Amino acid sequence: MTWTDEELVARSIGGDSESFNELVLRWERPIYALAYRTIGREEDARDVCQETFLRAFRALPGFRGQAKFSSWLYRIALNLCRDWIRRERRAPIVQPPEDVDVMELAAASEPSESIEDLVARKDLSRAVERAMALLPDEQRTAIVLKEYHGLTFQEIAELLGCPLSTVKTRLYQGLTVLRRELAKGEQQRAKKATL
Amino acid sequence: MTESVCTYSGNRDEALVTFLYDDDTWSGGDRAAFGVHVSTCAACRDELDAMRGIRAELGRWNPPDPNFAITFSNAPRAQSAINQQSAIDNQPWWESIPAWAQVAAALLFLGVSAGIANLDIRYDSQGLSVRTGWSQPRNAAVATTAAPAAGGASVSAKGDAPWTADLVALQQQLTAEMRTARTAAAASAQPAAVRPADADLVRRVRALIDESEKRQQRELALRVAEVLRDVNVQRQADLARVNRALGAVENNLGVEVLKTRQQVNLMYRASQVVR
Repeated sequence: MTWTDEELVARSIGGDSESFNELVLRWERPIYALAYRTIGREEDARDVCQETFLRAFRALPGFRGQAKFSSWLYRIALNLCRDWIRRERRAPIVQPPEDVDVMELAAASEPSESIEDLVARKDLSRAVERAMALLPDEQRTAIVLKEYHGLTFQEIAELLGCPLSTVKTRLYQGLTVLRRELAKGEQQRAKKATL
Repeated sequence: MTESVCTYSGNRDEALVTFLYDDDTWSGGDRAAFGVHVSTCAACRDELDAMRGIRAELGRWNPPDPNFAITFSNAPRAQSAINQQSAIDNQPWWESIPAWAQVAAALLFLGVSAGIANLDIRYDSQGLSVRTGWSQPRNAAVATTAAPAAGGASVSAKGDAPWTADLVALQQQLTAEMRTARTAAAASAQPAAVRPADADLVRRVRALIDESEKRQQRELALRVAEVLRDVNVQRQADLARVNRALGAVENNLGVEVLKTRQQVNLMYRASQVVR
């Protein structure tokens, strides 16, 4: 039998730790993906993901079900991401060179995947990643929540604590910037190919 | 007819996004009305197509495999991570003592306990045996019980002085000889029914002693396992702290390297200008 999130939460509050484990298994990947797309670093995204569940676990007795469990988790994760971004701005680290990172490639390589396929896949993904990194935080978060997590405009507005129209405007502006940046990247790649 | 300049009277940006994602914040009428507008407005149609293209591009961006081996890949690990974190957060004052000091204290405690508990470790032809408590080894028990019977003074096999062992050996030899003589005489005098009862009693006492020894060995093994587990948890907590501290140092170092690089570049440019 499959329990709903709310049932699992109720059981967890009642002391059933297995139910909380079930919630973790169910939501760890979406939360990790949200953190990764918001802060852009694998290791830190994992930390944020872990911290999200630890905070949720501690705060579970206070969860009254006013919002969906997933929205509550998203809110915790987004707050942690915001803290992380604030910290990083205070102590910026040196950005790696823009060329292909061999170490990263080696780490990401899978036995079934050739290095050429891997580079191609990374290139496609990297172009979007770079364009997303250029967006202001609030536009990026709105796009991530809508595009990758399928939240409604209303849910995003509640999560981010802003009016519905603001969410739509952020999405529109974000998509416009992405369109421009991806087109620019496309042109540069085409120029390189002709040289 | 198709318009090249948009004449939509409402908030066009919001309308485009709502139409693009087909979100339910619109009533059916609004949606239909904007749909009619899009069918006649080339600008809106082009922009919607471009945005759909961007959405397709966004679909290519997948996060790397999270590899949750150290986080929440399976339920027991998740629980153990939570337990560990709770243990770190709710740690009493004594857990802030470094792990090595705790290990030293634990070993000292074990040593003193072993001393008090009369720990006896033996390695002989029967293998390794650990004995605790006040029960004496079988040979010694025989020796000490046989001694009063022989009318001599009772001497413990566990003496401190070096000559004690020699004395005990001598006493054992003497009592053994005397007992042999006594048992030979008594065997003929005692009724046959009594001897099996004594042997049964001795067997039961030995079984009880064996059981007690086994229980004490299990208890000792359990305590050692507990100490090891506690040390391991503390070690992981220490490692996490060290890791965090190293991360901070790494960040600071990165900033320093960046600054140095900028200074070198500046000096290089300055030297070029001077030339």
